[in-house]
Amino acid sequence: MAYVATRGGERAIEQSERLFRAEMGTITPERICEIKASMPYLVDRVMGEASLYDEDIAALALAQTGGELYEAVLVLRAWRTTQPRLSVAEPIEQETLFTHRRLSAAFKDIPGGQLLGPTLDYSHRLLATQVLTGEAFEPVPVEPAAKAAPAHQPSVSAWQAANDLVDLPDADTTLSEDIPDITREPLLFPSKRAHTLQSLARAETGGVLALGYAAMRGYGQSHPTVNELRLAEAEIVVTHPKGTKFSAGRVKVSQAEVLSKKGEKLELGFAATLGWNEVKVIAAATLDLNSAGAPKGSATEEEFFLYHTEGVESSGFCIHFKLPHYVTFQSSLDAMRDAKARSKQQKEPAQ
Amino acid sequence: MSLKSLTRDWEPMSYGFLDASAKRELRRKMLKAVAVPGCQMPYASREVPMARGWGTGGLQVSLTLINPNTCVKVIDQGADDSVNAASIRSFLARVSGAPTTLDTLEADLIQSRHRIPEEVLREDQVLVLQVPNPEPLRSVQPNMSIARQMHADADYGRMWLQLYEQIVRSGRIMQGASYPSMVNGRHVMTPSPIPRWDVPKLNMAKHLTILSAGREKRIFAVPPYTRVEPLVFDDVPYKVEEHANLTCYRSGVRGFFMNEIPQDDGSSTHEISDSEYGVKAIRSTEGDDIALGKTWYENGEMSS
Repeated sequence: MAYVATRGGERAIEQSERLFRAEMGTITPERICEIKASMPYLVDRVMGEASLYDEDIAALALAQTGGELYEAVLVLRAWRTTQPRLSVAEPIEQETLFTHRRLSAAFKDIPGGQLLGPTLDYSHRLLATQVLTGEAFEPVPVEPAAKAAPAHQPSVSAWQAANDLVDLPDADTTLSEDIPDITREPLLFPSKRAHTLQSLARAETGGVLALGYAAMRGYGQSHPTVNELRLAEAEIVVTHPKGTKFSAGRVKVSQAEVLSKKGEKLELGFAATLGWNEVKVIAAATLDLNSAGAPKGSATEEEFFLYHTEGVESSGFCIHFKLPHYVTFQSSLDAMRDAKARSKQQKEPAQ
Repeated sequence: MSLKSLTRDWEPMSYGFLDASAKRELRRKMLKAVAVPGCQMPYASREVPMARGWGTGGLQVSLTLINPNTCVKVIDQGADDSVNAASIRSFLARVSGAPTTLDTLEADLIQSRHRIPEEVLREDQVLVLQVPNPEPLRSVQPNMSIARQMHADADYGRMWLQLYEQIVRSGRIMQGASYPSMVNGRHVMTPSPIPRWDVPKLNMAKHLTILSAGREKRIFAVPPYTRVEPLVFDDVPYKVEEHANLTCYRSGVRGFFMNEIPQDDGSSTHEISDSEYGVKAIRSTEGDDIALGKTWYENGEMSS
């Protein structure tokens, strides 16, 4: 197989793409529906990292890339960036979230209550191998509580602020049109708060986990307590050109607030993302918590973790090393051979 | 006149893929980059349908500059037919309808990874270099915000020290490609990983060179007739790769940057890195009516 064949490159790349796509076969609307229905958490993860909320388009990206997650996110980001921005939605307050799951590790019970919601946390992780031998896996039906939990819950940190345990950040009064947008501006440091939170929201889950875990294990200054974790749906309220405010629908969101307990007051770290992805928001909030005053070049320094958890950039750069580098290699070889010849010359005894 | 006659039909993609706001951002930052030669300008690098690190910065510049009459050449490692060059060229043609060429002399716009063609570029040509790492100080200062301040202060002491240390340790400067170079006497830039052979081609060149790093979101430029001087000590002259006496086994040309091809018997043979120049040389020898342009190097020596 020619890598840099004379005049063969175009045919080679076309055929290699065909070979990849042949494996996946025909992509039908049914396949998209099946992915959407059977893998909501995968769809959520991809939507979060792409920062594009559309289950159909995310499922299509997964189908088209055969589940190669970095490729799926890239294809979504490249599509997203060409789309016009029609409107900026109203800010969302925690109290207005339609909450499915919400818990706090800081207190046994909290105003509004601990709300387990859907989770595998307490499941026994056993494979349903009977499916492989022809017996379907039927989930046991849910038995709803007699009284449904309230859909809207207060925030735990509001209670802590009322009790003078934590200083909440001042409300950001930036008009929605003026919020700095990481997809339209370069990231510079020290970074704008909006850029930090946006970058974490679209960061690659595995990358955030790796660096967040390093901070949790001890390479950070603060051990996180999960003050509040929420999986919810947020109402997207936009303004019609006529001035009417209306809901354009709901999107799934995750958010985590973690605490450090070092000084006289609690300190907060925060992260949120589109879709339900608990690992990502807890790890990201831990990084946020640890970033203040972190030494330059440490894993918890903002510049370090924001650059290195950007999945499209990091994965792209990683795979680019497959590209031919023989010119730069030749240039280094030339210097190396010359240096070797010089040192050999020097080592030979003087005549 | 109806409203319909004033509007265009909906299309799934803007001309040249990027939308108007992305192109405006690119144009503004390119102008800034030209105004302060060699200075890295941060820009809102958009995602494009290609992976980061695969020429997305160069691609955004090309997509912004391109029009249906722009004749485009794309090379990777000097070769037009390298797989990624072929991919970028077909994408550019697909979204812009621009004609493509392999011949340096015919091109209006040349997007390249790691090489500058051997034929001298003209004032009406633009060279777009893909840049993996825009920061020449990265090896001495990985933190971008500190490095940015060092550029502002023209604080290149550590860069000089690194070059000096290489001389002390290895008897020569060990920098291979991407040799740090002073632009217009003010900003040190990395000329992208072009070999040392190519750096003198940028000095007082007639053409405009735009260097764009999509992943790192930085753009910088060498405007026409701008000084580009490799960082060297007065008593240790700049050394390009020792390719002046190598001969291309295919085309027979001599005195250009070569690819080394290892042979089964343990030896090496060489072929010219600028593949299309090699092809033209062969066709010219075979009697075809082919225009070979003036080259930067003559008999292996940089001609001034």
